Amino acid sequence: MGENVVGQSVRRPDLVEKVTGAAEYCVDVTMPGMAHAKVVRSDRAHARITGIDVAEALAAPGVVAVVTAADIASLHARFGHIITDHWILAPDKVRYYGEPVAVVVAETVAAAADAVELVRVSYEDLPAVMDAEAALADGAPLVHEQAYEATGDESFKNLSHVDEGDGAQQVPSNVAHEVTIGWGEVDAAFADSAVVVENTVHFPMLYAYAMEPYNAVASYAEGALSVVSTAQHPYMVRDDLARVFDLPLSRVRVTSPYLGGGYGSKSYTKVEPLASVASWVTGRPVKLTLTVEEAIYTTRVDSAKIWVKSGFAADGTILAREFDVVMDSGAYADNSPLVMAKTVNRCFGPYRVPNLRVRGLSVYTNTSPASSYRGFGAPQGALAGETNLDRAAEQLGISGADIRRRNLVRKGEEILPGKRGIDADIPADLEMVVESLERDRKDVPYYGIGFGCTASDAGAYPISTAQVRIQIDGSVLVLSGSTEMGQGSRSLLAQVAAEELGVDLAVVKVVQSDTSVTPYERTTGASRTSTLVGLALQRACADARSRMRDMAAELFECAPGEVRDRPGAVAAPDGRELDFGSVVRQWFGGSAGEVTGVGLLRRDGATQKMPPFWEVGMVGVAVEIDPETGVVAVDQLVTVADVGFAINPRAVEGQDLGAATQGLGMALHEELVYDGPQLANANVVDYRVPRTTDLPRKIDLMIAERRDGVGPYGAKGAGEGTLNPIGGAVAAAVARAVGRWPDRLPLTPERVWRLMNRD
Amino acid sequence: MTLPPFALVRPTTLDEALRELTEDSVPYCGGTELLLAMRAGLHRPDALVDLKRIPELTGVRAGDGMLVIGAAERHADLATHPLILERLPVFARMEKHIGNARVRNQGSIGGNLCFAEPKSDVATLLMALEASVTLVSPGGRRTVTVEELIVGPYYAEKEPDEILVDVRIPLRDGLRGAYVKFQTMERPTVGVAVLADDAAGWYRLGVGAVGEVPLAWSFGSLAEIDPDDIASRVDPTPDLAGSEEYKRHVTAVYVRRALAKLEQVSS
Repeated sequence: MGENVVGQSVRRPDLVEKVTGAAEYCVDVTMPGMAHAKVVRSDRAHARITGIDVAEALAAPGVVAVVTAADIASLHARFGHIITDHWILAPDKVRYYGEPVAVVVAETVAAAADAVELVRVSYEDLPAVMDAEAALADGAPLVHEQAYEATGDESFKNLSHVDEGDGAQQVPSNVAHEVTIGWGEVDAAFADSAVVVENTVHFPMLYAYAMEPYNAVASYAEGALSVVSTAQHPYMVRDDLARVFDLPLSRVRVTSPYLGGGYGSKSYTKVEPLASVASWVTGRPVKLTLTVEEAIYTTRVDSAKIWVKSGFAADGTILAREFDVVMDSGAYADNSPLVMAKTVNRCFGPYRVPNLRVRGLSVYTNTSPASSYRGFGAPQGALAGETNLDRAAEQLGISGADIRRRNLVRKGEEILPGKRGIDADIPADLEMVVESLERDRKDVPYYGIGFGCTASDAGAYPISTAQVRIQIDGSVLVLSGSTEMGQGSRSLLAQVAAEELGVDLAVVKVVQSDTSVTPYERTTGASRTSTLVGLALQRACADARSRMRDMAAELFECAPGEVRDRPGAVAAPDGRELDFGSVVRQWFGGSAGEVTGVGLLRRDGATQKMPPFWEVGMVGVAVEIDPETGVVAVDQLVTVADVGFAINPRAVEGQDLGAATQGLGMALHEELVYDGPQLANANVVDYRVPRTTDLPRKIDLMIAERRDGVGPYGAKGAGEGTLNPIGGAVAAAVARAVGRWPDRLPLTPERVWRLMNRD
Repeated sequence: MTLPPFALVRPTTLDEALRELTEDSVPYCGGTELLLAMRAGLHRPDALVDLKRIPELTGVRAGDGMLVIGAAERHADLATHPLILERLPVFARMEKHIGNARVRNQGSIGGNLCFAEPKSDVATLLMALEASVTLVSPGGRRTVTVEELIVGPYYAEKEPDEILVDVRIPLRDGLRGAYVKFQTMERPTVGVAVLADDAAGWYRLGVGAVGEVPLAWSFGSLAEIDPDDIASRVDPTPDLAGSEEYKRHVTAVYVRRALAKLEQVSS
C-alpha cells in the first residue's frame, strides 16, 4: 500500500545501549540526598501483629527511620486499582509470608539491611488458608474481615456482560471476586449431545520472571511527590499515589525509565507506595530495590483449578460448554478480579458455542498476592478449554485439526454477544500451523503433536493520547505515556511518526512514560500500544500536518486548503515547497519555535466497539519424550502472529518467540511451590525458567498479514497471544506421545514418568 | 541481598595465608559458593583470605603415578588442560560441563570440595577415582581421601586453620571412564561415574548428587554392577527435582547409561 518506513524490520534504537549496559534503568536512578530502604517482612502466613519494637533498629548506625503502619495512619494507606484492599504496611495483621510490616530507612543499603534484623515484630499466629480449597471450606479463617470500596475502574466496569456476584461482601468470605457469564440453554444442550466430555485441569502458580525486580526511588517534598519506578502503567500508579496522599494528580509525577521486562507483573502499583511513604515520613528521597525473592513475594500469577464440560453433536459440532474456574489470588486482590473477568471470556475459545455457562471465583488465600500476567487469564482458561476439545476429538474419532475446523468462527462472527466480531481469519491461521507441524513430523516413538487456538479480547479500554512536536530543524519528538519494557514500542512509534510525516526515521525521537511530561496513556498492556497509541499518534501527526498547512498558507499567502502535504514538507499551489523546519522558523520568525500535534483516542468511531481488537493465539508444538526419565524435548514450535500488518516484522517475531518460550516454561518447568507458610523456590535457581538449551529444534514463526485490524495500516497487537494456547498444545502433544492425558502443568520429568507408569 | 562488608586479604605465600586464617577470617578463592552464602546472610566473615595468589595452590602436574591439581585451579582451565586431556580425559569432560559458564570460569576445584555441595559433579568423580587431597595447617600437612573429606552435605572434614592445597588423583594406564548426569534443574539430579582398568581388574562406580554425599564402590568386573541394586543403595534427597522414588528410578537409568557410554570409550 505504499508505506515506506512501517512494515520494515528496522533496528531498534535502544538495541546497542541495552546490549552494552549503557541504557538507564530505574535501579540506576539516584536523587540528591537519597536514603535507602529495606523492608521488614512477615515471617508467617497469617498472624495478628501484637507489637513492633523499633528501638534497637533506630539506634543502629546509619538508620534514619523505621516506618510502620502507625506512622502512616493519617494517609489513605491502601491501594488497589479495582479493590483498594492492599495495605501499604500491614496495620493489624499479616496475611502472607513476605508481607511488608515496616520499612527501615538508612544512609546505606547495608545499614538498612542490618537494621531490618533488629526490628522486633511480635505476632499471635492465626490459622491460615494456604490454598483455594482451604479458603472456600466451611468455617475457613478469613483473610479479610472487612469489605473494601471498589475504585470504579472503567475498564473493569465496562466488561458489561459481567454479572458481578452481588452481595459477595455482605457475608464475609474469602471470595475476592465472582464472575459468571453465559447464554443459551446449557443443560438442555448437554442432554441433546451425542458426546459429553468433562475434565479438570490445574494451572500452576507462576512468577512472571522479569529480569529486573521491582524498584523505585521516591521524593515527597513541598506537597508534591515524584517517583521513578519500574511501573508498566505510570498513570495508574500516579492515580493510586494521589489517593494515598490526597494530592491533586498534577502534583504526583511518576516516571518509568526502560523496564527490564514486565510480562504483566509490573502493571499497577507495587513498591511505589513503600518508597513514597518512607520519603513522606523522613522528608528525604528514598530508594527501594527488591531482591528477586522479595519480587516473587510481591506479585505472582494466579494459579487455577478449572473444571470443564463440553457437549458435542456426533460430527464434533460444539453444542454447549460449561466451565467452573477457581483461582488462588493470594492475600490481596490486586488485578486478579480483572484477570478472572478475562478468564471467563477467554476459556471457551474462538468457537461457535451456542450454549455457555462459566463461573469464576477469585479466592483470597494466605499466599503471595497474584495479579496480571501476560495473557491475562487466557493461559489458565485455554489450558482447560483446549485440552477438553482435544480429548473430545479423541472420543469422537476425529483429529484435533478437524474438531477445530468444524467449530472455529469465521471473520466477523461474534464469540461474545454484542462485542466486536472476530477481526481475523482464524481457520486460515490454523491451516498454517497444522501444515508446518505435519511437514516436519518425525516418525519416532513417544512423539506427539499438539496445537491450540485462543482469541483474547485485547487492547483494554481505548483511551490513548499522543503528541508530536516538530522542531525548527525538522526533527520530531514523539511523546507517549506508554512504556518501553522491551517490547519495542519506542522504535515502532518512531516508525509510525516517520511514515505519517514523511521524515527520516533517524530524526524522530520517542519520549515515553513520564506523567508530568508525556501525555496520558491508560496502560501499557493487553497488547495495545501498536494499535491504540499508534492510532493516537497517527492523529497527532495529522494534527501537526494540519497546523503546518495553516501556517504555510500564511507564508505562501494562499488558502489553507490549497497547501499540499509532501514528505517532511508542504507545497504551495505554485509548486513552491517548504520543509517543516522552514515553516516553523519562518512562521515564528527569529529562528525559534515548534509545532505540536495532538492525537486523542476514545471509545468512538472505529474504536467504539469493544474490544478494540481480538488477539489471536495460534501455536503448535511437537514433543519427543524420553520414556525412561519423562523428559519432554520440544522438537517443533510453530506460531502464527495474526497481526493484520506487521509494522516491524522482526519485533513481531521477537514477541512471539518470547511469548512462546515463556509458555513453554509454564508448560514444562515453572511452578512456585508452597511448603508450609513459605515458598520452597522463591529464587531463580530453583524456580526453573527456560534456558537456551531448551529451545525447540525447529522454530517456525509465521506472520499473517491481512490488514484486518483497527490499528494503523490494518495492524493489531501482538505479544500475549502466542503464550496463551501453549499449555494446552503441550499437554495434548504429551498425551498423544504417551497415550494418557495429563491434568496439570508443568509437565516436569517426574510428572510425565508417573503419567506413563501409573496403574 | 547485598553483600555485607568484609576485609579482603591477599597473601602471596602459603605461610602468610595460614597466619591470616581464623574463625572469622576464611579462605576465599572463586567465591561461587561463599559469596552466595554471604549474600544470603548464612555466613558473615570479617575477612576473606584470597588464595589465588599462592603459587603452591596452582598448576597441574603428573608424577609418582599421581595427577596433582592445585586447589585454586578453575574448572574451565582444568577442562582444557593438555595434561588432563591426555591422562584423564573423563575428568576434563566432567569439568567442561559442571555448573554454568560463570561457575566454570570462577570456581576452583578446591573450593568445590571444601564447600561439599551435595550436588557436586567433582566430588563424585574424584571419589570414584580414589582421589585424595592435601591439607596444610600451621601444625603440618596431612593427606585424606575425598571420601574422608566429604562427610556430609555442605560439610567437609577440614579444620578452620587448614588450607586445601591440592587434589591428588592416582593415574592408571589404560583407564577408561565415563561420567554422565541427569540434570533438569540448575544442579544435577544424579551423576554417575564409571571407571574401568581392565588390565588391573579394577572397576569403580560413583553416584552423586542424588543423596547427601556421593557414594563410590569397587567391583571385580563391570558385569557385577547391577543398576537396580545401585539404586537401592542410594539414599535420595527428595526435592523439587523429584521424589525419592523417582530419583531412585533415574539413578538406575543413569547407571545403565553410564555403563553404555563406557562401552564406547576406548582405553
